Amino acid sequence: LEEGERMELAELAVKKALSMGATEAEAYIQRAKRVRVEFTEEIENMKTIESLGIALRVALGKKIAMYSTSIVDESEIGNVVAKAVKIAKVAPEDPHWENMNKKFGNAPAEGYYDETIGNLGHQEIVETLSSAVNRMKDYDARVKPTRGFLATSVSNVSIANSYNVSCERKETGIGVWMRTKAEDAGMKSTGSEHQQARFWKEINFEDLAEKAAEKSVKFLKAKPISSVKMSVIIRNQVFANILGVILSGPINADWVQKGRSPLANKLGTQIAPENISVVDDGVMYGGWRTKPFDEEGHPTQKTSVIENGVLKNYLYDTYTALKDNVESTGNAQRYYYWMNPQPSPNNLILKPGETSPEEIIRGTKKGTYIEETIGEWLSNPVSGNLNATITHGYLVENGELTEPIKGVVISGNFYELLKNGIEIVGNDSRNSMQNYSSTVKLTQLTIAGK
Amino acid sequence: VEEQEEIRKKLELEKILDKAVDLGVSYADVRYQCYDYEVITVENKTLKSYSSRRLSGLGIRVAIKGAVGYASTSDLSRNSLEKTLENATKAAKSIKSEKQPFGETEINTADVKLPIKINPVDVSPEEKVSIALDANKSAWISDRIKSAITRLGLSNDFRLYISSEGTKVNVETTLVGLMHESVAKVNGVMERVPYSESVCAGFEFIKSTDWNSFTADISELAIQAASSKTPPPGTHPVVIDPEVFGVVLHEAFGHASEGDLVFTGDSVLQNKLGVQLASESVTVVDEGIVEGGYFYPFDDEGVKKKRTVIVENGVLKNYLCDRHSALQFGVESTGNGRAQDFENIPIVRQTNYYLQPRDYKLEELIENIDFGIYVREKGWTGGQVEPGMGTFTFGVGPSKVIRNGELAETVRGVVISGSILETLKTVDAVGKDLKMTTSVFGACGKGGQRATVGMGGPHVRVRKMTVGGR
Repeated sequence: LEEGERMELAELAVKKALSMGATEAEAYIQRAKRVRVEFTEEIENMKTIESLGIALRVALGKKIAMYSTSIVDESEIGNVVAKAVKIAKVAPEDPHWENMNKKFGNAPAEGYYDETIGNLGHQEIVETLSSAVNRMKDYDARVKPTRGFLATSVSNVSIANSYNVSCERKETGIGVWMRTKAEDAGMKSTGSEHQQARFWKEINFEDLAEKAAEKSVKFLKAKPISSVKMSVIIRNQVFANILGVILSGPINADWVQKGRSPLANKLGTQIAPENISVVDDGVMYGGWRTKPFDEEGHPTQKTSVIENGVLKNYLYDTYTALKDNVESTGNAQRYYYWMNPQPSPNNLILKPGETSPEEIIRGTKKGTYIEETIGEWLSNPVSGNLNATITHGYLVENGELTEPIKGVVISGNFYELLKNGIEIVGNDSRNSMQNYSSTVKLTQLTIAGK
Repeated sequence: VEEQEEIRKKLELEKILDKAVDLGVSYADVRYQCYDYEVITVENKTLKSYSSRRLSGLGIRVAIKGAVGYASTSDLSRNSLEKTLENATKAAKSIKSEKQPFGETEINTADVKLPIKINPVDVSPEEKVSIALDANKSAWISDRIKSAITRLGLSNDFRLYISSEGTKVNVETTLVGLMHESVAKVNGVMERVPYSESVCAGFEFIKSTDWNSFTADISELAIQAASSKTPPPGTHPVVIDPEVFGVVLHEAFGHASEGDLVFTGDSVLQNKLGVQLASESVTVVDEGIVEGGYFYPFDDEGVKKKRTVIVENGVLKNYLCDRHSALQFGVESTGNGRAQDFENIPIVRQTNYYLQPRDYKLEELIENIDFGIYVREKGWTGGQVEPGMGTFTFGVGPSKVIRNGELAETVRGVVISGSILETLKTVDAVGKDLKMTTSVFGACGKGGQRATVGMGGPHVRVRKMTVGGR
């Protein structure tokens, strides 16, 4: 199915749904071509996935239903519509339902499509990853590449709904993850690096390979430490993950409306010091989730979430916006085509400060520097309980990174930290998926050790 | 779903295999899948969404020496199938390898279907919605309940496998379940307790279960948790319930026993076969069909999933293998080559992984502990492991303090962490009660793929475990 044909099919589905009694209908078609190469000690396999799917959402008054399938052709559309309408008939009325998105259009977003990615040959992709794998092997005799992948995607989205509007876009993505292992005299350690970007040339494969190898060697002698309370410096990508886990839910209008968000009723109040600002930016150049319109076809935008410590906005899709009688912020997201749209950040950004990570370390007399963690997503956004296991960290003593440490747990409460615990935000913003943060220094956190 | 024979004929799967061999590959297999999945979500007494989907398509795997190429498509037209084969072949040709791709295995012919009474896909949407709505309404037992989400889920998975070596296997599995989450607020403290129950069965299981008391109990626990304190952080003796032990074992030890992670040196269990690495009361098994677990008679490489003993009385006996990792160890595949769906290449995954029960009653496990924690699963928030190091962190549900050999107050926000090898060495008593669980909602993720698994064990006592409180 070519681009124009997909839109024709989407429009056909909408028309059919209306003729079968739907009062509103929306068809969402996604086509994706994904390539993934995996390595262990060497390149292992390569795969190409071509997928196509349609999700049809229909409303019968205030009764809503959705049906989706990967069988996308004209002869199947009738079945899809019939199934969706049948489900909608038994759905109880949703008293909050007003209407589907009526505002379609493109925001001035740029940098979400890279022509190079679609044109890469099988050979070129394999060779790029292959030379990165070799770089890890050459780095040090104690280092072995153990696992990783390079994945690219080119996808097209076509949306049509019964308000006679439609929109289409194509976007690209590339993700890479590499892990190495170092072994020396009975000691073992690992090191990994990851990056996600919109453009092929944004990723320096050999540099990532070298950093992963270097990390695994540096942590050969890492040890746990005893329980203490001290200041903690968290590397940009790690804090970006924490930010995503903790903040994405509570600023979601759906959570707020359902009483799940600890940030409910806090608009306009100071929830953090003045040096803290967070924005959700759907139009930033080259952002991981930058796009001209969201997954309902509503234009995206830049929304201030926390401005100089004051909570400014929640993030909305059409449904939640109508419920609060405000405009959608263009944050309707579908993790997969078959899922219902719901509010979620586009690119969630902790606004960078002016201090470099080196200066932050230099200014720390005694503390911990966290390079990698696992388990941060276990943190509880409802209570703000923050938890992560440090797999790679350093002690900071008199302004320098000293002993490597591992296997200790950090814990604290995110909202208390946000209020007065973030001492410095660095200037080295970097992303982990759609979350962007710089290196930060926190005043006091508990570290549970041996 | 059409019969195996018809699909094979319609898609001319044998022809694809022949053509692959003509293109110069040394091995080819084709996997066709038709998967139905429905989730009905009720939030705060209102139907939030009814999501129903069908995923169907086909994937072709080819090998040229050790180079493996894969391509898949959801478009089953002749043109598309030809292009898919071409993509798979090109991919294999772009990789240089002089090795062999897969270990030898038996040739199988089988047609297995989980016996069910009522296919949940065919049950009227009305009936399904009303069960979920009723269950949700029953969760509002107090004004301290602030939010309640109920999901009714079901899946029907038909998979067909055919290889150039002559294996032809198809399996159909049905899974149904209900999950519920209550959020309670007591004196400004909010706690979230999620819990679910799923079984490989037809819709008859959903109809015969009392979901109203199921959700009310979860709300009760959420209130209790929100009114309780966090545990004192430190190292304590713990008694772990079967569900927590099952997940810890699956995540922190099971993954480390997966052959692909072992041979790449990504596992703490590399070079440990024959070594006593757990206490003598520890015997660990992976098995395709276990009561309460996920029904998995054959894997996605057409290999029969038999009973595999991983640890016997504390000694490491076997790794889990697909055909690729089996080759590295010079053994036969254990039937653990699993793919999320037709868009993915099979990798080594667990099926039903559990600790074999012994002879202690729960009271006996608790009676000698002066101060410790009874670690419970209900309300579990998740976990993560680094299999290379064997370190784990898990957020478990509201748990109980053990004081002077008896269960005392509830504690919330409990996080356990440690090194799995140290943990298994300090297992000093294993209970007699085996409980297996599986889930139609969550699945285990690895390498970007998800797989439904079964996990479990009996109650277990561990002499010391790091417990984080908040």
